[in-house]
Amino acid sequence: MSHPDSEVLAEFRAGLITGRRGARISAHLATCEHCAGLCDSLAEVSVLLAAAPAAVMPDLVAQRLDGVLAAEVAHRHDSERAGGHSSQGREAGSRASRTGPGRQPGRHRNFRLVALRVLAPAAAAVLLAAGGYGLTRIGAAGPSSSAAAGSAASAPPEVPSPASASHAVALPAIEAPANLQVVISGTDYRRATLAQQLQHELQLSARKAAGTVQPAPASVKACELMVTSGISPGTLLLLETAHFQGQPAIVIVAVSGHQRVAWVVGSACSAAGEDLLAMTSLPGTSAA
Amino acid sequence: MPGTDGEWASDAELLRRHVAGDSDAFGELFRRHRDRLWAVALRTVCDPEEAADALQDAMVSAFRRAADFRGDSAVTTWLHRIVVNASLDRLRRRAVRPAMSAGDEQAFEALLVHDPDPARTADTRLDVDAALRILPPAQRAALVVVDMLGFSVADAAAILGTSPGTVKSRCARARARLLPYVEHLRGNRSASESVSPAQGGDV
Repeated sequence: MSHPDSEVLAEFRAGLITGRRGARISAHLATCEHCAGLCDSLAEVSVLLAAAPAAVMPDLVAQRLDGVLAAEVAHRHDSERAGGHSSQGREAGSRASRTGPGRQPGRHRNFRLVALRVLAPAAAAVLLAAGGYGLTRIGAAGPSSSAAAGSAASAPPEVPSPASASHAVALPAIEAPANLQVVISGTDYRRATLAQQLQHELQLSARKAAGTVQPAPASVKACELMVTSGISPGTLLLLETAHFQGQPAIVIVAVSGHQRVAWVVGSACSAAGEDLLAMTSLPGTSAA
Repeated sequence: MPGTDGEWASDAELLRRHVAGDSDAFGELFRRHRDRLWAVALRTVCDPEEAADALQDAMVSAFRRAADFRGDSAVTTWLHRIVVNASLDRLRRRAVRPAMSAGDEQAFEALLVHDPDPARTADTRLDVDAALRILPPAQRAALVVVDMLGFSVADAAAILGTSPGTVKSRCARARARLLPYVEHLRGNRSASESVSPAQGGDV
């Protein structure tokens, strides 16, 4: 018999060739050193693959997935709290996936409007806090702001509760407050180093050194409202226009539940859709 | 870990808690398996950014579709299946690294030129990863699940959504295709075992 090729030998070893053909190959292997050697090498391929060091998920990927998961949990929680149907929760959660096939912006908008209607006083209070209070809070917290935000689980951030902030109800319910501040920076965030860059930017922001601060234009306000609608009550820690992978982008960092979540959205972000480019969570300490 | 009351909960129990509304259960389940899930995604798509995207798609999908899990297989099998599907979807949609055709020896050699750092303990993996790239995606996924992660052919068939015979066949053809590189892989393995810190560069 002529030498079987390596694919035939591999199939034979996998038990895919039996019967008379299998018997012929078996007899050939008993007498042919070359083919027996190939069989040994085929076995060695599996051994070498099994011996390859295990791949460990990089910290940056782990942080990103934690952030996405936190957003999913927050959306599920919010939709349940708002008496939402499970389908609404699912659609709202689709924002966490950049390219999720089930994404339906129209229904997502409906969810946002429902949430706003139900939680309008709280939402207005949160945004008031974001504009007038959130940034000063960063300033007051100083270099330990990261740790302070990270400990939100044990000591909830100082978000005015709907009851204590009843004065905020006088504001137009849907409008973001006029004094919402945005940092204009020259930072170019990169996907691979997003979390570290954000840590640094939050520290700069705490020292009021992140860049020019000015009242947010209406488009940025609408975008911020859109992106953070799922995390009420929450505290906005940073609103910044910058770049991401070289493209103009808006960066939003807010406390969500037990951690800080950062969204990077494109310039197409508006009340109609957030144009999410990247998302990550930030650890509770300033260590990268 | 929250939600466990200090006791170890099985994967199935964590999934049940998640479906029942426990907000920590899914995170605990996912963290438990995430390195292996990462390995599947990374080695199937052969690109860390694409792997991260695929794993994110898979995680979100599993989070939302947990109620659909019927317990026909182990929870890990179900999770791996979702990750493999998300990874192959990404490869189909974006045609990652289309220039690398199967059995392209020149392309493989080109990769070796770029990954020759003998000072790294991850050396074998670099070359294994490079070698995996010459395989068609379906063969690669089968080989990763069976030879690298050690799943049985039956479990691999459930993960890959195909028959055990197809899994065996894909693995056999993939091993045959890697045969010309076995000496190189073997050489790198022994090099990494007797490594001197003075060697190598900073690739």
